[in-house]
Amino acid sequence: MPTHAVEITGITKRYRDIVALDAVTLSVPKGSVYGLVGPNGAGKTTLLGILAGLRSPTAGSFSVSSSRVSVLPDTPKFEPWLTARETVTLSAALGNVPNDSDAVGDMLERTGLADAADRRVSGFSRGMLQRLGLAAAVVSNPDLLLLDEPAAALDPQGRREVLDLVTELRGKSTVVFSSHILDDVQEVCDEIAILTRGRLVYQGTLLELVNSVTRGYTYRIEVRGDNTETIEALRGCDWITHVGVEEDGVLVSADERSVLESRLLPLLSNVGVAVISLGPVERSLEDVFLDVTK
Amino acid sequence: MSLWRVEWLRLWRTRTVWILFGVFVFFGILGPATARFLPEIMESAGLGGELALPPPSPELAMSQYLSNALQIGLLAIAFIAATSLAFDSKPEVAMFYRTRATIVEILIPRYVVVTIAAISAFLAGTATAFVLSTLLIGAPDVLATLIGSALITLYIVFAVALVGLMASLMASVPGAALLAVGTLIILGIAGLIPYVGPWLPSYLVGGFDTLIAGGEFDYWRAILVTIVASSAAVWASIYLMSRREV
Repeated sequence: MPTHAVEITGITKRYRDIVALDAVTLSVPKGSVYGLVGPNGAGKTTLLGILAGLRSPTAGSFSVSSSRVSVLPDTPKFEPWLTARETVTLSAALGNVPNDSDAVGDMLERTGLADAADRRVSGFSRGMLQRLGLAAAVVSNPDLLLLDEPAAALDPQGRREVLDLVTELRGKSTVVFSSHILDDVQEVCDEIAILTRGRLVYQGTLLELVNSVTRGYTYRIEVRGDNTETIEALRGCDWITHVGVEEDGVLVSADERSVLESRLLPLLSNVGVAVISLGPVERSLEDVFLDVTK
Repeated sequence: MSLWRVEWLRLWRTRTVWILFGVFVFFGILGPATARFLPEIMESAGLGGELALPPPSPELAMSQYLSNALQIGLLAIAFIAATSLAFDSKPEVAMFYRTRATIVEILIPRYVVVTIAAISAFLAGTATAFVLSTLLIGAPDVLATLIGSALITLYIVFAVALVGLMASLMASVPGAALLAVGTLIILGIAGLIPYVGPWLPSYLVGGFDTLIAGGEFDYWRAILVTIVASSAAVWASIYLMSRREV
């Protein structure tokens, strides 16, 4: 029994001279929520298209151990003359889900479309189409769900509902979740892959990512009055790797946290400045992401 | 809800079924009416003495119906068939279908439903022309009308298959429709070449008039080629669309 829902080995995709994916190798654990992160044009949509069977790789191979795969494109569209209920019912029927109007109604309810269930899709906003796309994708109980920017067009409430729905699917389905919204990725994903310009630059957990990219540790110091003397003293220490000056504070980095913890405060005390605040600077996922994709 | 029901709903809710029936029934009325009343119409327009018009006849009524209906009707059929068969023209909609069903499961209901609708519209127009001709001028030959209609029906099957083939080459509704119509026109011109014409699907169109006018049945070659070409077009469209990336 495979432990991975998706195994990708050295996949390359070229469109004439453009390399959309460059020898990408990754694996998605079964039952996990897997984030696919990267700037525009990184190759996320191409990778999802290949996994969905809509595109063929130029080189490399992949295997999907799931029998039922659903995909939600970033800008879903449907037959405009069908109603929302008919669209979800059609999706369920094509996914060989037994004719169950309760399941369709429940899915429309969960995606916030109950009131618009019998309206034709032609009048739907982009956010409503995204909700409908999610309902149509999830109603067939897929083993593998590929979501391309599922919350991009949604208002805060819609975004919350999508994230809750994805969280509910953890363990039941494998979800590959492409997003620009790093907070969403941080909230729902167990593991992530970062793509940039078609290349995989990181694969693993978020914690491992932050630890691997953060070289050394940084503290922020704020002192009362002029800080020139403080900066000079800090720059004179060989155990400090970097001193950065901000408008109302100083950033100090060292290779080990323990060094900063044990030596920084005595140093400031020797200088004789009045310390207003002193504490570690936590790097956000966004900082790390920008570092990795630079 | 099945893909077959989706196709019937497409025809009904987009009102394309009414366009098809409207075109053919309109010309089914116009053909016999102009054949019967054209001399009076020309007379009232002051042109009666200047043009020599053939006397009204059932053959003329049916001929006028067919020539008008096939020109506009085929254009309508091509566009309506392309709307259904060129489903990759909207990639997001194509993704919905392609990730849930095979190309055969997607295409066959589209081919069948559009073809049935087009043939039904043509037969409704033909029935209208036949009844009106009988009431105004005289009854056309029933057997010849039936056989002639069967030949046109086969030609419509070929036209829809051709639209499907063009949709597999070009993922655009107007592009697929115009390519198919252009190909039908070229085949019509090629039909003027001696010895080649009787083998072409376009030869079937002439059978309607010829048979009603009492001509001989000489269409087996064209029937055979049309069946083979239609089947090949459907097969090729399935093959090409299954290889297309969206």
